[in-house]
Amino acid sequence: MKRAHPYSLVGSMLIFGFLLLAPRILPEMKIHLMIEVMIFALWAVSFNLLFGHGGLLAFGFGAPYGVGAYAAALLFQHFAGIPLVLTLGLVALLGFLTGIIIGSLSVRLKGAYFALITFGFQMFLYAIALKWYSVTKGDDGFSVTRPALSLPLAGNFSMANVVPVYYFTLAIVALAILATYFFQKTPLGNSIALVRENDIRPPFLGYNVYLIRLTVFSVSCLLAALAGGLFVFFNEFVSTAVIDMNVSMVVLLMAIIGGSDHFLGPILGAAFYVLVQNWLSSLTNRWFLVMGAIFIVVVLYLEGGLISLFIPKKDQPGGSAGRK
Amino acid sequence: MASVLKLENIWKDFSGLEILRGISLEIREGERHAIIGPNGAGKTTLFHVITGFYKPNKGKVFFLDREVTGLSTYRIARLGLSRSFQITSIFPKMTVYENIRNAIVSKLGRRFEWTSLLSRSKEIQKETNRLTELLRLEGVKDMLAMTLSYGWQRRLEVALTLALDPKLILLDEPTAGVDVKETRGFVQFIKEVTVGKTLIMIEHDMDVVFNLADRITVLNQGQVLTTGTLDEIRQNEEVQRAYAGRK
Amino acid sequence: MGVWEIYLTTAMHGLVYGMLIFLVASGLTLVLGMAGVLNIAHAALYMLGAYFAYTFTQFTGSFWLSLILSPLVVALVAVLIERFLLRKTYAKGHVPQILLTFGLLYMISEIVRMVWGTNPLRVFEPPLLSGEIPFLGGTYPVYRLFIIGFSIFILIGMLLFLMRTRVGLIIRAAVHDADMVGALGTNVPVYLFAVYAGGAILAAVAGVIAAPMLSIFSGMGDQILLDCFVVIIVGGFGSLLGAFVAALLVGELQSYGVLWIPQLALVFEFLLMAVVLAIRPTGLFGEEI
Repeated sequence: MKRAHPYSLVGSMLIFGFLLLAPRILPEMKIHLMIEVMIFALWAVSFNLLFGHGGLLAFGFGAPYGVGAYAAALLFQHFAGIPLVLTLGLVALLGFLTGIIIGSLSVRLKGAYFALITFGFQMFLYAIALKWYSVTKGDDGFSVTRPALSLPLAGNFSMANVVPVYYFTLAIVALAILATYFFQKTPLGNSIALVRENDIRPPFLGYNVYLIRLTVFSVSCLLAALAGGLFVFFNEFVSTAVIDMNVSMVVLLMAIIGGSDHFLGPILGAAFYVLVQNWLSSLTNRWFLVMGAIFIVVVLYLEGGLISLFIPKKDQPGGSAGRK
Repeated sequence: MASVLKLENIWKDFSGLEILRGISLEIREGERHAIIGPNGAGKTTLFHVITGFYKPNKGKVFFLDREVTGLSTYRIARLGLSRSFQITSIFPKMTVYENIRNAIVSKLGRRFEWTSLLSRSKEIQKETNRLTELLRLEGVKDMLAMTLSYGWQRRLEVALTLALDPKLILLDEPTAGVDVKETRGFVQFIKEVTVGKTLIMIEHDMDVVFNLADRITVLNQGQVLTTGTLDEIRQNEEVQRAYAGRK
Repeated sequence: MGVWEIYLTTAMHGLVYGMLIFLVASGLTLVLGMAGVLNIAHAALYMLGAYFAYTFTQFTGSFWLSLILSPLVVALVAVLIERFLLRKTYAKGHVPQILLTFGLLYMISEIVRMVWGTNPLRVFEPPLLSGEIPFLGGTYPVYRLFIIGFSIFILIGMLLFLMRTRVGLIIRAAVHDADMVGALGTNVPVYLFAVYAGGAILAAVAGVIAAPMLSIFSGMGDQILLDCFVVIIVGGFGSLLGAFVAALLVGELQSYGVLWIPQLALVFEFLLMAVVLAIRPTGLFGEEI
């Protein structure tokens, strides 16, 4: 049985320790940045569950994220009384349903076709978000207020300050990412991986490839929606910027630059994206171009992504993304 | 003897190009049946139809007296019909152990289990180890499938087919490309691991056929030329003519 | 205008847009058939054609001159992309390829925003083609008729080239089965390059002639990408006839869609694609696998 490489394990624990202490040692501006990193890390991990683990590349992965974001925003606005955790649960459920709907129609296609049909669905949802002004306020968007967190035995925690928001986000993101990690190691996770490794043989071994792909797509969408919901929770604002074409590229940038062969890759990619973007945008208006250039360089010259610079290839767990 | 596979008048064409023309065949339990014939006779297409990969234009397929015509491949596999491929189709970046385990997880019906860790399941572990041993792959079980030599990859190919404990085994040119020196050992391997099972194999190598099969069907141009025992086929004039026409 | 005239006009609009989509999709589907590559960046060439048309028209004051210059510049860009970027991915497989071409579309859209700004731009039709003429009971813009006529002219040229010349025959064969053609001794990569460059020019031309009619904006690439994608799915991979029929279908659906449900004309495209995928996954004119 493969064990996680010692570097990955120690590295993860160090990072987690740092995250726990961060609000005490970092200035407030940086805490905002850290929250963004965590949310995007979840989003990138969800993307890579679909791509790195499932072998399915989707260009329309902004769709579930955007759906989650709008769902959260609308719930916060119209149903502020619902407990925060329940709202996020509903958001995740909605993400899952979105995944089933889009997935059932898309998953039969392969390669570039699958990638583009999801892109099409996202454009469709973008059009709805843009034009249904009465509900979404189009690209003007609207603000919401963070509800307090009420836990049954622990009482109410106000979310007005950034520190409780930080810890709440950390808790949810850490749980979700851990759940994803172990999900990949279940028999179902294995079924998903083997379909990625060889897409001819599995039916002859009794695997229902369509259903397996639909499952990984829906689970990924669930997690992406959760990330979108957390983003609105943090940002207290939603607009079409959560579901436009840029957004598809952002998650792609994070997962690919970070490295799609390794579980930690997308997390590194998210950190890279948020931190570098923050730094670059103070230097130039065109930082997106620099990111795009880095992306292309990675695609052409560094297939394993940035994580491959830290973790030697042979220690990367159970099968790499199908580069057929 | 129970009927394991029955083909009734199978026709299959592709946009007008007829590949299978009225094939009828019956395989009984415990039989070891070889399908031979010149290239282009339709042998692999026949396997595709039996396993549900293609739907026949006409005709029916019965597996264990149950009609399976048009069923999805994965359903037919779950009923106990398993096949190997002429061009090796394994899981290259997984170890031999993990390859076999993939078949075991499916056999045990635990494909969609998401509430337990795969590595912790004693049942799966035990069964995978049992089969790895049975299929003589213990020595290489921790090697990545893609690092195996071609001959050993072919063994894994056959092993994957057998790991499902199928009621009917279809082997599509199992010895294809295997070194002449290794073929003897490989055939012995197949013989030992398929003892007592019902087997249909497509083969070109007549030595292998004579070693493994008791009945032979000859296919030519999408039709059954004749079926019979080894001796009957050897002496059949039509068969000799069909082979003489090709080089 | 009476109801009949509204429908007729809508049908004409659909024809116009369909022709434009066809010009862009044709290059895409041929390269797809020949090389198995879905070059997403191709959509960006259409957009660049339109933007360069704007710049050349600003500089020279002549629409006709930009109709010649813009496609040439775009073709150059396409060649550079192929030579220095796309070529590196051939050996790596499909995933790096589609990642690269998608990334390129995105980058080019960003560059366009940077160079030309984020506001939509306008190019004016040449005086020769402005105004309306009487048409089947009502009037119809001359320029749009020009688009139809010009596109048909190009289409006939393409057909003649593919059907009547030796090079065209080789290309047709390669779209059908590139390996076989290569095995017969033909230098397929050269023909592939020609098709690629030709397709780029067509896409750019479409962008130029579309410019006066539609507004020029940085989302043009995404939009035409989707339309082309639907066309390829519906028409069948590698089929020029399929692309033509599908393009007209999509054009008409867009046009009537805008008439009936202006907010969500996309729905009809999707429905069409869903229906085709369900009934005939290889496309109306595609070949069975």
